[in-house]
This record gives sequence, structure tokens and C-alpha cells, in this order.
Amino acid sequence: MAKADSLGQFEQLVLTAILTLRDDAYGVTIHAKVQELAAPREVSLGAVYVTLDRLEDKGMVTSWLTDPTPERGGRAKRCYKLEALGERALEESAVTAKRIWDQIAEVWGKEWARQWGKRWVKERG
Amino acid sequence: MRRILEAIAAILLPPACREEVLGDLHERYRSLLQYIVEALHTITLVIVSRIRRTTDPAIVLIRAFALYLSFLCAARIGGGDFLFDRWALISLAIPCAVALLWLTLDDAWATTSPRSAFSAARGRVVALLWALASQAAPRSTMLYGCLFSLLLLSAIRALERTRPRIG
Repeated sequence: MAKADSLGQFEQLVLTAILTLRDDAYGVTIHAKVQELAAPREVSLGAVYVTLDRLEDKGMVTSWLTDPTPERGGRAKRCYKLEALGERALEESAVTAKRIWDQIAEVWGKEWARQWGKRWVKERG
Repeated sequence: MRRILEAIAAILLPPACREEVLGDLHERYRSLLQYIVEALHTITLVIVSRIRRTTDPAIVLIRAFALYLSFLCAARIGGGDFLFDRWALISLAIPCAVALLWLTLDDAWATTSPRSAFSAARGRVVALLWALASQAAPRSTMLYGCLFSLLLLSAIRALERTRPRIG
């Protein structure tokens, strides 16, 4: 089994977007989801393309062109799908993030973690 | 106006990613200004990404070496005092840089992968015509340099096809 490369933060966001969007993961929707995840940071469409290209080169995602549609000016979409290597890399990143979170909560206290969690839920509506 | 902007964007975008990027920009269209700003930023990044994907650093280094060697030999064979000029070695690097830049862009804008022999040969000839147009050295040096470069670049291309891509 090939070892998954460690992911940068933006790569994690893009992979998470593809994972949650399932069959509807293409440039525009991935960008919207990444924007939502990275808020309040602004994300450009070009940065998403660059990251998608890099992830495809690493073998973490695959892509294919769909049929052209009128709402896109007769142009096709390039849809993306998470591959096993990408899933494994994302899982490793999530586990690491969880460990970091647990350590921070342990040092700064359970009350702080609870308050932070409430604020996060409120901000996300 | 929108059609014209989309046509310009289509020309600027490498063919390999033209379809989806144009479609995405079309779908996100809100105003002309928004389209121009987003298209400029997106196209720049897409081109850089495409160049990264189609460029093999080892091949670029070999090409650069071959080009410089060709123009250096041409300057030596061409005779004259050109090589004794203070800026001669830097002047010889100009046509090399021009040709190398064109070859890199030509690879990024290629419509098929792997490229056909004809398309690659055309790319080499055009790159060397651009180098010739730079007129950075005496005419005889430029002509011989382009000729030697064409031979060496063709040999490199033949070797390139027989080895796997690095990186």
C-alpha cells in the first residue's frame, strides 16, 4: 500500500470539499465549499485549480469531463472524485487535527473548549 | 462584450484546461468587471499550474545546456571578435532564454499528450525563429547557433521519448 503524503491546510480543505460534495464536485462547487470552510479567509478560484492539479498529480483525486450544459455556455464540467490515497491522507490529517485539539483543550481547560465550541456553532448558524 | 472577453480568455487558456475553466467562469459571471478580475487572476494561476505539470526540470536543464552550447560553438566557429566582447557570454544567453521560454510555453499549450513528432518539431522551429529574432549576437552566430540548436534539441527530443518522466 502506497504511503499517503502529508497534506497542506489548503489541500485538506479541497479534499474535504470533494468528500462532502460527492458526485457534484467540480470547480465552482468545490470553490464555494472551500470558501465556506476557510471563512473568513478569501479563496480564489485559481488557487483551487492549482491545488486540484497538484492533488491529481499525487494520485489523491481523479477527474473526468461531463457533457456540456447550456447554463455553462455550452462548456463541460470537470468533476473530481476522491481516491483511496486521498481518503487515507485526509483521515490522517483529521486524526492529527483531533490530537492537536485534545492537547489544546487539556492545557487550556475543558471550559475554554466548551465555550469555543459554542462560539463556533453560533458563527456557523 | 461578454462574448469577446470569453474569446480572449479561450485564447489565453491552455487547451488542456480551457473547457472547464471557461465553463466555471461563465457560471460565476456577475458583472463584466468581476469577470475580468476573476479571469485575469484565474488564468494566471492556471497557466503557472499547467507549466508546472508539463515541465520536467531535468529536460529544461538539458535544453538550456544544449542551447547555450550551440550558440557558444556558433560564436567560436563564426570567428570574429564577438567572444572577446565584455557582454558576449550574457548576449549569448538571450536567444537561449527566448527559445527556452517558447519551448516551455509550447509544451504547456500542446493539445495532445504525448505530443506528435510534427507538433514538437514545429515548436522547436518556432522557438528558434524567436531566438533568431532576438538578434542578440552577430548574424552568422545566430544562424549557426539556431542550426546547431535544432539538431541538439531534436536529439534531446528523441531521447526524451525513450525515458520515463522525472518527478
